[in-house]
Amino acid sequence: MQEKDSKYIRCPYCESVNIDDKEVLYCRNCKNRISGKKELNLHIAWAMLITAMIFYVIANIYPILVISKLGVTSQNTIIGGAIALWEEGSYPISLIIFIASVFVPLLKFVLILYILTNYKKTQKGSKKIDQAKLYHITEIIGPWSMIDVFVVAILATVVHMTSVNITAGIGATAFVLMVFFTMLSAMSIDIRLMKEGNNGD
Amino acid sequence: MRQNLSLLKKWRSRTVSSKLFALSYSKGVYLNEDLDDLIICSHCHTLHKKIVLPHKKIAKCSACGHKLYSNVEDTFQKAVAFSITAFILFIVANLFPIIKVYITGTENDLTIPAMIITLFNEGFYVVGTIVLVVIVVAPLIVLSSYLMLGLLTYFKIFKGFSKYLISFLVVSKNWAMVDIFFVSILVALVKLFGYARITFGVSSIALLLFVIIDVAFLKSIKPIELWTYFNRVYDARKR
Repeated sequence: MQEKDSKYIRCPYCESVNIDDKEVLYCRNCKNRISGKKELNLHIAWAMLITAMIFYVIANIYPILVISKLGVTSQNTIIGGAIALWEEGSYPISLIIFIASVFVPLLKFVLILYILTNYKKTQKGSKKIDQAKLYHITEIIGPWSMIDVFVVAILATVVHMTSVNITAGIGATAFVLMVFFTMLSAMSIDIRLMKEGNNGD
Repeated sequence: MRQNLSLLKKWRSRTVSSKLFALSYSKGVYLNEDLDDLIICSHCHTLHKKIVLPHKKIAKCSACGHKLYSNVEDTFQKAVAFSITAFILFIVANLFPIIKVYITGTENDLTIPAMIITLFNEGFYVVGTIVLVVIVVAPLIVLSSYLMLGLLTYFKIFKGFSKYLISFLVVSKNWAMVDIFFVSILVALVKLFGYARITFGVSSIALLLFVIIDVAFLKSIKPIELWTYFNRVYDARKR
């Protein structure tokens, strides 16, 4: 019963329905590649994810914001900045920063990891999961972690005087690269992996 | 009025003895024309059969309620009109200051080009490039592809190029993050609130309107709507 359903695949570029009969499949309507070789796609997604994780660690260790006030420089990490805001009493903003730049990337890592690891499980036919929905969530929440980088860029532009000066730190570069690679990792997940997850009960 | 169409039937192979495919399977040849009547939900991968929609109606997935497609011709005209508006707003938003900040007697303006130039001057080339791509280049690509598509489909020329343009549009839509930039302006304002006097510039309104158009309309267009319009326009030329 389920086999018939899995014979059709959706082209991510033009949403036309294609018959899933070849390993390397090109869309019949727009001629874009829907799906490449399975193993290769998995490897690319893993590589991007691991790179992103390394950058995430770097982004949290190094300062994202360097404030020099009358010759005294203080360096803020992401978590440090969120805590400072919390202590000042602006709880909602502190929560936004914390959720967007600490929690969302972690959530995204976990979701992609879940999709990538459970793909092999479902091939053996042990567990039913709804990977398409998880993937959709990662697609929506992913870009929102850019908030922190934008805030740093805005502050660095606006606060630029001899007495007080704000510049970006090494953490900002690492953070941007982290967001970039997580997005690439999510994009390189083969649409077929999720489909097979759906039908693997 | 947007209505959830109950007419839209679930096209699962379990429940429906698929008449369309019975013939094709037996001969081992698939008919592409039959596949054009089907659509898969982008959210839950459920297979549906398409129906012709009346004006201003939206088709939704029977399993998860996600939007499948809406009446096509109308959508595309609106997309072109809105992208002309958004284009003007975007130019205004880039030229004039978004906010003005006064700290200890000095005034600093925030404009998008100034922000990127500051990042490059300080040596943050990677951050600068990605910020440039994400809030200037990608939105411009989306807008100009809509405008180009409007022109090309109006004159019905360069079929191959407009095909390429639609796929390009679908990909670059993911990288446009002006809405997130707008939220981060608000966050930055709160951070500055105690230390500085802040006034809003001209382009804060332009940016707000741009974000509203972008989120409410340009990003919510499904690729299928563009493709159906595209196929209808260029097929009409053949006859």
